[in-house]
Amino acid sequence: MSSIEGKDVRKLIVACDAGMGSSVMLASTLRKQLKGTGVTVEHTPVNSIPSDADVIVCHTGLADRARASAPGVVLVPFQVFIGDPAVTRVVTAIKNGGTING
Amino acid sequence: MATPYTPTVTGTGVRATIQRFGGHLAGMIMPNIGAFIAWGLITALFIPTGWVPNKTLAELVGPIISTLLPVLIGYTGGRMVHAQRGAVVGAVATMGVVVGADVPMFLGAMIVGPLAAFILKHVDRFTSERTRAGFEMLVDNFTAGIVGAVMAIAGVLAIGPVVEKVTEVAGNGVEWLVSHSLLPIASVIIEPAKVLFLNNAINHGVLGPLGVAESVKHGKSILFMLESNPGPGLGLLIAYLLFGPRSLRPSTPAAMIIHFFGGIHEIYFPYVLMKPRLILAVIAGGASGVLTFLVTGAGLVATPSPGSIFAYMAVTPKGGWFGVIAGIAVAAAVSFFVAAALLGFGRANGDRAGDPAQNITSDDTNTGETAGESVPATKEA
Repeated sequence: MSSIEGKDVRKLIVACDAGMGSSVMLASTLRKQLKGTGVTVEHTPVNSIPSDADVIVCHTGLADRARASAPGVVLVPFQVFIGDPAVTRVVTAIKNGGTING
Repeated sequence: MATPYTPTVTGTGVRATIQRFGGHLAGMIMPNIGAFIAWGLITALFIPTGWVPNKTLAELVGPIISTLLPVLIGYTGGRMVHAQRGAVVGAVATMGVVVGADVPMFLGAMIVGPLAAFILKHVDRFTSERTRAGFEMLVDNFTAGIVGAVMAIAGVLAIGPVVEKVTEVAGNGVEWLVSHSLLPIASVIIEPAKVLFLNNAINHGVLGPLGVAESVKHGKSILFMLESNPGPGLGLLIAYLLFGPRSLRPSTPAAMIIHFFGGIHEIYFPYVLMKPRLILAVIAGGASGVLTFLVTGAGLVATPSPGSIFAYMAVTPKGGWFGVIAGIAVAAAVSFFVAAALLGFGRANGDRAGDPAQNITSDDTNTGETAGESVPATKEA
């Protein structure tokens, strides 16, 4: 289990199957929530997560592939696309400090 | 997080492998959907049975579907394997299967594009160690040229005809299913696979290429609507709104809009995964939707992507709206009623205040947390 301090996060990746649908939606939501924090939010297909990602957020159904595609990076799986507590915790950790466990 | 209420949905290695393979197939199609839509719009407008028939402009239809779209797919497939050089030989190789077959060569492009790139990748690995300084450009250009030419020739003579045969057999199989009214059974496979995030793989990897072949022949295809029908998901979400666990209800209206109008079906998958028996609702909804499409003879010109009601309307052929809308409405209604029944019309969740059992079964778990935080999170967004 890896972890990262919220204040050390520079790049947050939202991954989904094609990198075109649900990840774009969640990324735009997170981008608004993280405005002013200096964190870059990007969306990518789960098979091509960039190597400089600090935190990956993706649905639990795709977590296996995300882990294989970016081993060692903090991975936060979530269940629902709107208001998932796991995602909210990431936002809180980045904004108010705290540790993100993945 | 794993409770009876929210079972762990992290999959087995097999599922991840299938997802990955399907992801590669869909990954060749999805970046090119804009081109598919351009073709769909041109077709719907200008063919003889279209909205504004125009002979000159209708000449675009054939070359785009038989050449441009397969080449784009082969290009993208090649790029996935070996970057720009892979993309170039993938496109050249795809021309081989395009010329070597009479049907749109989507499947062929999905095979030869990555294959040619894969071969070039190995050739590059071999030559890069042996090339003298100053000769890199010469060697690189000619290896790509030779691999591309050889693969294009192989495409015309061997791969094209074989894939044409395979496409034909698969198409006949689908026609057999259609003529025997067995197509609704496909929902039994499609709907569960969908919520396991195989939606893109099924729709863009399998049904789309077959549908395009049919659409070229008959002017429309039902295959585009098997996976992408937004009806079942909408019905399920409405059932959740009215009868779901109280904690989840606030998030469903936004989910409905994103699903039905935005076409992002992934948004409803978690609602099924949370209560797996609801898969019966989307299967029933999907199957009755397909049956309605079959009975009314509905079909779409091109793939509606994303599966939004707007995309559906855009690629519906002239005069075909009734069947298409009916199929979506029936699917939503059936899925709603089955889901509502499975949710016990709200009672099974013990939503009545002061019911002690309820606190244990649902609200104490993950979902309770979701509700507490979902409302502010949504508002912030």
